[in-house]
Amino acid sequence: MSALNGFRVLELAEGVAGEYCGKLLADFGAEVIKIEAPDGSPTRRLGPFADGEPGPERSGLFAYLNTNKRSATLDLGNANGVATLQRLLDRVDAVIDDHAPGWLTSAGLDPLQVGTTHPALVLCAISPHGQDAPEERRHATDLTVFHASGWGFHTPTGADPARPPLNGAGRFLPSYEAGLDAALCIVAALFEREQSARGRVIDIAMQQVLASRADYVLAQMVAGDMEASTSRTAFDLAGPAGIFRCADGYAYIWMSAPAHWDALRTLLGDPAWMQTFPERWLERACTPERVAECRKHLAAWLATQHKAQVAAEAQALGLTLVPVNDAEDLLASPQQAFRRYFVEVWHPVLGRMPYPGVPYRMSATPPRIDRAAPVLGAHTQDVLAGGDAA
Amino acid sequence: MMPRDRGGPLAGVRVVELTKVWAGPYVGKLLAYLGAEVIRVESLGSLDVTRVYGVDDMNNAPGFQSVNPQKLSVQIDMKQPEGVKLILDLLAKSDMLVENLRPGAVRRLGLGYDVVKQSRPDIVYVSMGMYGSEGPLAYQTGYAPCFAALGGVSGRVGYENEPPSGMNVRYADSTFGAAAAYAATVALLHRRRSGQGQFIDVSAVESMTSMIGDELVGHAMGQVLRADGNRHPDMAPHGVYPCRDGEWISLAATTDAAWAALAGAMEQPALATDARFADLPARKAHESELDALIGAWTARRDAAQAAAWLQRHGIAAAKSQSSVDLVSDPHLWARGFYRELRQPDGSSKLTVGPSWKMTREAAIEDGAPHLGQHNAYVFAEILGLDAEEQSRLAAAGVAR
Repeated sequence: MSALNGFRVLELAEGVAGEYCGKLLADFGAEVIKIEAPDGSPTRRLGPFADGEPGPERSGLFAYLNTNKRSATLDLGNANGVATLQRLLDRVDAVIDDHAPGWLTSAGLDPLQVGTTHPALVLCAISPHGQDAPEERRHATDLTVFHASGWGFHTPTGADPARPPLNGAGRFLPSYEAGLDAALCIVAALFEREQSARGRVIDIAMQQVLASRADYVLAQMVAGDMEASTSRTAFDLAGPAGIFRCADGYAYIWMSAPAHWDALRTLLGDPAWMQTFPERWLERACTPERVAECRKHLAAWLATQHKAQVAAEAQALGLTLVPVNDAEDLLASPQQAFRRYFVEVWHPVLGRMPYPGVPYRMSATPPRIDRAAPVLGAHTQDVLAGGDAA
Repeated sequence: MMPRDRGGPLAGVRVVELTKVWAGPYVGKLLAYLGAEVIRVESLGSLDVTRVYGVDDMNNAPGFQSVNPQKLSVQIDMKQPEGVKLILDLLAKSDMLVENLRPGAVRRLGLGYDVVKQSRPDIVYVSMGMYGSEGPLAYQTGYAPCFAALGGVSGRVGYENEPPSGMNVRYADSTFGAAAAYAATVALLHRRRSGQGQFIDVSAVESMTSMIGDELVGHAMGQVLRADGNRHPDMAPHGVYPCRDGEWISLAATTDAAWAALAGAMEQPALATDARFADLPARKAHESELDALIGAWTARRDAAQAAAWLQRHGIAAAKSQSSVDLVSDPHLWARGFYRELRQPDGSSKLTVGPSWKMTREAAIEDGAPHLGQHNAYVFAEILGLDAEEQSRLAAAGVAR
């Protein structure tokens, strides 16, 4: 028994944002019925593929995003398919979509009408710029949304204005962020619906999700308390913090308070260069020259250190220094192992692999992965016949 | 005075926050934006650094105000036994506790889950830590960029063949908070259906790894991951290109047809049939040439106008927006992303609203509270303390 057992969700989404949202619900026990076109969700055609060979059951991306779901194929390009979808709508609690604005209406589910036609349905539509996106924002990818949101222009920190701003980490960070807020809103709506029996229409704009993640600075800027500018460093903080090369990779060091400086002094045995810095300089006298001088010494020192060991020594003294982890480090992390973050899943084509789990451990309703992603159309007959999840 | 019912899906839910800085307060902000009543427990003796760092007036602290709108504030000194007792009394009348104090702090204060559960057996208790509350590395602490470094995000951002540069330093706290808010809301729903509360232990590091989840799967399938600038395995071109006046434009050709349309939009239709760029593998093989051609075209143009022009040709493109662009983005304004709030002193102030639009939304009206602005409401109306007892608590420094 997990938290969302008994809820039935229809996933019309075919992108990463909507499929991740559906996964967040499915891993808590919701019965998520994934409606796929006859040739399958487009995410089945995105890599990585088993042995590098494309194929509908060979995508690691699809396998990751669709654990615990059921798959039913339905051709929404014809009247029969649309009529079948209408019948399914009467049997579900929530719908997740992430097509372009207008698609839902063409599939017979006008967001403006659904409150009347299906008053108990929770309908969540995710799109790059919202259901009311203007013409000049109709075409978007995760990259363009990341840059429309402000995160792109300000990445990396300490940007060189002559070099291009960077994409975020990985291919789909904006989609994951949007899927997370979508899942939050859907569950909040289901919570209220338990008492009111009323549904809701939710419109998630990926640009807005990402921009809201910068609220600490952006709210100050729109309020006029912090300067908004055309500078690439407008989101940055002053100080020597940053990524430094180590003997076996990279480490990130953060220093903002006297306690951090004192801890570093202890760790380094109070070297001569540190004695030339004034008391509380990080707070009160953080000049670019001192930052550069400090970084020069940090770089020379850390180049000789091993990232995990030096982090453990620093942390014991109260210095916020951490390794810059790669995938191998994460899989080997004793903390991740303790929390059982990675979950072994067996898939008929991909075999047994560790999948990233979820960042929350829950005492009463732990999320779990009971089933690998479905084979295309595996549950079509069951779903169309009105059967419940096995 | 009782705060008015603002509606929204979480109307009627009461959340108590023992939080600091950004990630913990962000949870409360999301829940407040969904309609919950969110009460910050604060004290002069342990003020949130965002109320005081580089600020003259703790009741007009811009950073604090950014992540604490639509919340209530009560002063209780949790370092005194009587303060702890008051907090437990308050939790007995609440649905959820959110805390992101230093590892182990709540237990040392006598406010760990085991204790709180005695006062409120069905409490949803949300504990947030860089590494979560238990485990071999749970003693370690850090700020947002540490979460991103540890979670594998920083190493995946950077220019090709160079050391990783990481995301912007501000990234991670709010994502961590959103993950915690989701789990917390799931737990509320479970409690409504079953009567059962629970303990939720959220890891900032893992919230970061979840933002690159498919990359870990790729690693398990033998992919080699390295910083790749703005490139993308499934699209080319895919990048950020220079425009006039130091501006930049992001664009991507999602298909061969989109690439042909881009060639047309650049008024270089011959490129569409150029064998070097005929399909994705060809364009990936000649990506530097491709980027140079596009960069030459964008360099003479205004970023916003070029994006609009490309959009008319069906191409995914957007100006890389600066902070000035963001606060003046007409579409964000049209969607009500920026909201005007009533401040405690009666003035008004703009802020960042919710990420969503939904039917029957919660009203979002009030700015972040002054320290102790809601002492009377909490002490009198929630806890039922008479005026004499309130005076005694104030005089004893418990409500300071």
